[in-house]
Amino acid sequence: MKNSVVKEIVIPAISLLLICIVATALLGFTNQITAPKIEQLAIETQMKAKQEVLSSASEFSEEKTVSLDGVDYAYYEGTANGEKVGFVFATSAKGYGGDIKIMVGIDNTGAVTGVSILEIEETAGLGMNAKNESFLSQYTGKSNTLSVIKNGEKGENDIQALTGATITSNAMTKAVNIALDLYKEVGGESVG
Amino acid sequence: MAEKKSLGQEFTKGIIKENPVLRLVLGTCPTLATTTSMESAIGMGISAAIVLVCSNIVISALRKVIPQKVRIPCYIVVIAAFVTIVQMLVKAFVPTLDEQLGVYLPLIVVNCIILGRAEAFAGKNSIVASAVDGLGMGVGFTVALIVMSAVRELLGAGSLLGHSILPASIPPMTIFILAPGGFFVFGLIMACANKLAEMGGGKKAKLSGCEACPMAESCAKLHGGEACETAENAETAQAEATPVETAEVKEAAE
Amino acid sequence: MKIFFAILLTAILTNNYILSKFLGICPFLGVSKKLNTAVGMSAAVIFVMLLASAVTFPLNTFLDNHNLGYLQTIVFILVIAALVQLVEIVLRKYIPALYNSLGIYLPLITTNCAVLGVTILNIDNGYTFAEAMVNSLGAGLGFMVAMVMFAGVRSKLETCEVPKFLEGLPITLIAASLTSLSFLGFTGLVENMFA
Repeated sequence: MKNSVVKEIVIPAISLLLICIVATALLGFTNQITAPKIEQLAIETQMKAKQEVLSSASEFSEEKTVSLDGVDYAYYEGTANGEKVGFVFATSAKGYGGDIKIMVGIDNTGAVTGVSILEIEETAGLGMNAKNESFLSQYTGKSNTLSVIKNGEKGENDIQALTGATITSNAMTKAVNIALDLYKEVGGESVG
Repeated sequence: MAEKKSLGQEFTKGIIKENPVLRLVLGTCPTLATTTSMESAIGMGISAAIVLVCSNIVISALRKVIPQKVRIPCYIVVIAAFVTIVQMLVKAFVPTLDEQLGVYLPLIVVNCIILGRAEAFAGKNSIVASAVDGLGMGVGFTVALIVMSAVRELLGAGSLLGHSILPASIPPMTIFILAPGGFFVFGLIMACANKLAEMGGGKKAKLSGCEACPMAESCAKLHGGEACETAENAETAQAEATPVETAEVKEAAE
Repeated sequence: MKIFFAILLTAILTNNYILSKFLGICPFLGVSKKLNTAVGMSAAVIFVMLLASAVTFPLNTFLDNHNLGYLQTIVFILVIAALVQLVEIVLRKYIPALYNSLGIYLPLITTNCAVLGVTILNIDNGYTFAEAMVNSLGAGLGFMVAMVMFAGVRSKLETCEVPKFLEGLPITLIAASLTSLSFLGFTGLVENMFA
């Protein structure tokens, strides 16, 4: 009887445990190799995005935070030849498939210089079209609070919604609007 | 595994005769979810194939060590470990793919093809045969995904691998890369595969071909030796399940 | 409160796990032939989803705190597998009536990607514990809605004359496509309701 307990319970339990330990060790090892690489990649992507949305800047400050309505946002000051040329804000808003994270560049006049998407998980073929240049370029040059329109005459502060992806368009616009508000928070003092 | 197959046959069966997606109807979730573009389909196919080959090798190597009773959890641990490794590597070296596959990358763990092959093949065959079987199945899976994504991307976005193919005068039918289009294209491809199989003298693909389903055994136990689909007539099977179980208890007591 | 309703309705209607996220297709096609099995399977899924989310959520916080985030997948799937076994044993022993109606579906749930999917997505979406539970409930209910609807569609299909080359699985998939199409109609509904 005792023998059967060992055979039925102890041996299976031990072998399962051993396999788990080996597997965990393997994962820990792989993680050691890949983690720094993943981190470095994230920094690179961010750097590229910053450069893209505020191309006039050659250098960016360390990450700073500014809070609006109780939420902290990261932002960077962009400089060229020691002169401040604008800001890059990292904002986000809830889209259809989760948070959409973007970087928004805003120059000294308060106008958007570019928008770059860091993270997006929208429906392929609809919301994912937000990545298209034709959609993103709509934000360039805008400086007032924006709203989304589906059809009809496009006003100065309107963004044409993506076909079949109003939620995504709203989220993108909301995130850009947050950046514009943040600019007033941080830019107001330095630009005057 | 009634007759012994040569390694070549072991490899090709996964691609044509026992194609996991089109003939065994396994792994339908990733098939539908990641075929919105050819790029993500290829990425998913290759990731799953790597996991499949590695887990098949390891499970086959351990097949004499793993106790029968805990073999499913053991298989799951092995598979999950490889999936996580692939996930980390993809994140580090192919970040765009990680973005495209999203949650479906960790979900390779529950891709029934992998557990199904572990249970049906790797747990019973030699390391080399298992590796070849995994490779064949992996390639078969990838091929099926590529065919499906090609149709969907071409019709739904007018492009292939991101390059525009259709002239601008033909507007793409976005519905094909949305959820309904996935089911629709899969249905039609399945019909074609059935037709081809029929011409080749084979059988139509049937849902949950039980021998392929990893849960077939636990299922069969419950239904008194009946196959998987019997979840349908579960009520009647329930009665039969009792004698089987008592027999099992007796066996365990000995 | 509003956010809970939004999450619940999104998970049931607009982001239905089966029909728009393609999670849990196997049981969706496999056990939807009859209405009662569809309901039984869905009930078991709802139960396991809620339980799994309740267990994996604090576990994930623990993993994160110890820099073990990379063990997420392996821990989650093991927890789900163990949980399913445990539930099966407990039900069989203490609530045989419930076991008789749900028990047969339980072993099939371990490899149901909707369950692992919902636990991972709860974390990915950055939900709080309460939100995660609501999302799991919604995902489960959405699963049930899709299963029940599709069981209805399939029972109609039984009596139809189907073109020969579409017989069997192909016509089932095309029916699923149409069911999914109808859910596309919910897009934007929740957003506009709670905007």
